[in-house]
Amino acid sequence: MTDEEHPRTPGRGGPLPPEVPTPPPAAAPAPKDPSDGRRRLLAGLWPPRVTRAQLVVALLLFVLGLGLAIQVRSNSDNSALRGARQEDLVRILDELDNRTQRLEDEKQRLDDQRTELENSSDQAEEARKQTLEKERQLGILAGTVAAHGPGITLTVSDPAGAVKADMLLDAIQELRAAGAEAIEVNGVRVVANTYFSGDGGELSVDGRRIRAPYEFEVIGKPQDLEPALNIPGGVVQTLEKEQATAEVTRSEDIVIDALRPAKQPDYARSSSP
Amino acid sequence: MIAVLGLVVGVVVGLLVRPEVPAVVEPYLPIAVVAALDAVFGGLRAMLDGIFVDKVFVVSFLSNVVVAALIVFLGDKLGVGAQLSTGVVVVLGIRIFSNAAAIRRHVFRA
Repeated sequence: MTDEEHPRTPGRGGPLPPEVPTPPPAAAPAPKDPSDGRRRLLAGLWPPRVTRAQLVVALLLFVLGLGLAIQVRSNSDNSALRGARQEDLVRILDELDNRTQRLEDEKQRLDDQRTELENSSDQAEEARKQTLEKERQLGILAGTVAAHGPGITLTVSDPAGAVKADMLLDAIQELRAAGAEAIEVNGVRVVANTYFSGDGGELSVDGRRIRAPYEFEVIGKPQDLEPALNIPGGVVQTLEKEQATAEVTRSEDIVIDALRPAKQPDYARSSSP
Repeated sequence: MIAVLGLVVGVVVGLLVRPEVPAVVEPYLPIAVVAALDAVFGGLRAMLDGIFVDKVFVVSFLSNVVVAALIVFLGDKLGVGAQLSTGVVVVLGIRIFSNAAAIRRHVFRA
């Protein structure tokens, strides 16, 4: 590979002609002593001398260093693909395409799944809202939640103690028929299974004693409730016949906050799914 | 000394400035760099031999670069660019080795 094996002769290069052509032997005979070259090298290095040769060589070496650095940098930028052959590049491209396709498919699948989940969660949310709404409505009917709204107050005073349970029940029926939605009698919530008992000033609602005056708080449409009580032969007239007085007052906001515990039925089970 | 400084400054500038190489020149740059390296080793050897002439160095440097680039260009046109590049690199590598051997004899006397 090199001229190492050959006996060294001055001016002789390697197997190929030396880069710098050998000047005529007369001009600069090659040195016999290798230490000459070393001395020359040291002399060239130190002390630095500004000569034309040094400047020219410096310029060219600058260009060489520049090219070297640029090449090294651009090679290390994306070295994986730069040196690859065409078949390899095609294969890599194919693989990337396949991978992209797979990922796209997966993205599509996940998007579908997400949409599905969102829909179902929307539906679940909607169902939950409806259930809550229904629970509130049913709670008002069952007396498990407080209620407020427009309505009337019916005050029955009974100085003679003549009011009987069935009269109060009649009043309740009449109010319900007129569209009463929530009723409270002397602090007792009136619900579906409310009963009145006793008579002659010893009345009780659902087993709780109540005393005159009996105060009905009713939520409903006042324009319907009041006439329903005042019709001829109706509740008010019947009560007045018994020396009791009944007074109906409309109100914009009746608050009914007497509650009933929610009772789990022992035997009846819901048959709806 | 100034020549060595020139090389160092060139490398530093190349690394720091990150100049954009025109796309036309890009494929010839590696070969040109190897050719220039060959010229530099030849020049170093000539200096050690005491036969260094700056004019010869400049001409050989430039012609080396130009010829190397030309060969690659021709190879690209003929469709054998990769092979010709390899050939040029091999030839230049052999020359660099032989020059390095001569330099080594001078410096280490071995």
